[in-house]
Amino acid sequence: MNGAARWAFDGLESGLARWASRQPRWALGGAALLGRTRNRLSRRWPSPDDVRALFPRLDPRAAARVAWSIGGLEARNRVLADCLRREGLDPLRPLVRGALPPLRPPLLLGTFHAGAVHALGPALERLTGPVLALRHGPLYTPRPPVEIVTTEGDDQRRAAVFQRALDHLRGGCFVVMALDVVPGAGLRVPCLGRTLELARGPFALARLTGAPIRPLVARWQGGGAEVEVGEPRAAGLQGEEIALATAAARWLEDYLRASPAETGLGLLRALLSEEVSPSR
Amino acid sequence: METPPVIEEAVLDLLRSRAPLARDRAELPDDLRLGSGGLGMDSIALVELLLDCEEQFGIPRPVELLEGEPLTVGRLVAHVRAAMAR
Repeated sequence: MNGAARWAFDGLESGLARWASRQPRWALGGAALLGRTRNRLSRRWPSPDDVRALFPRLDPRAAARVAWSIGGLEARNRVLADCLRREGLDPLRPLVRGALPPLRPPLLLGTFHAGAVHALGPALERLTGPVLALRHGPLYTPRPPVEIVTTEGDDQRRAAVFQRALDHLRGGCFVVMALDVVPGAGLRVPCLGRTLELARGPFALARLTGAPIRPLVARWQGGGAEVEVGEPRAAGLQGEEIALATAAARWLEDYLRASPAETGLGLLRALLSEEVSPSR
Repeated sequence: METPPVIEEAVLDLLRSRAPLARDRAELPDDLRLGSGGLGMDSIALVELLLDCEEQFGIPRPVELLEGEPLTVGRLVAHVRAAMAR
């Protein structure tokens, strides 16, 4: 794809981002179509070969379709992130359908860079109890019972945030934080035949508080987003961070094998940057 | 009640158990940072150190040490000593 085409795609995407505050359903749908087309023309980010490297059982045509879908997913997420920065959660709330299953705190909800990652906000507002969400650079100001704190800063600043999350869980509340694609040394666990580095913080919190971890993801479905909560596979394993992390990665692997088009680009890059595990 | 030097040594023992780079007292000056640029303790190790202090000395967890100025060996020892004197 040449520079003019890239410029045109970027311009269209910016236009959709501005439109998203008034017509979010149509703008996000348009962004998905735009992203699919862009990926189909460029055959990059990801390429069908990238997809097959991670999901070798897909035939080339299926891998190409997954690559287009990931291109669409990324464009839709970019447009939504832009909209959230400008307008907050208001335009998104009507698009997130359904209720979460009954969840009992204290509970640590672990997110992955998969699917409609920015669409989780409205679902968190429906939780029955105070929610502390940890995020590297918040996109918007939430409304109660959700509070977002940033994990940006040095070790001492992050320790203060970690300390708050610890007290929150010990106080019988919800904590939400990303399990994957985080800076710093993490826990290396197998996933999709490769090695995935998960953040150590959530698993250390689970160890220190005894709170279970449940995976939390959202996916674009039709014109809206649906949220899925994984089973608390970590329950009963507290005390061993690596065992908890391995269980979380196994859940992610099952989820992505069933829905490879939900693999976020950051997650895909993280997995592809690691060598194939010997057990494959 | 423990005497101040005993408290100081107990705090330093905790530090040594949590920070691989913590060494003899002479190499742990009061102004040495516990985090990056000093002992290199990460955020989890810093919080676990505060939990250790709470448990071992029976003082409220000194979470305020994470706010404001960089946490140093001297700040930690002084805080524990003051909390135990109260």
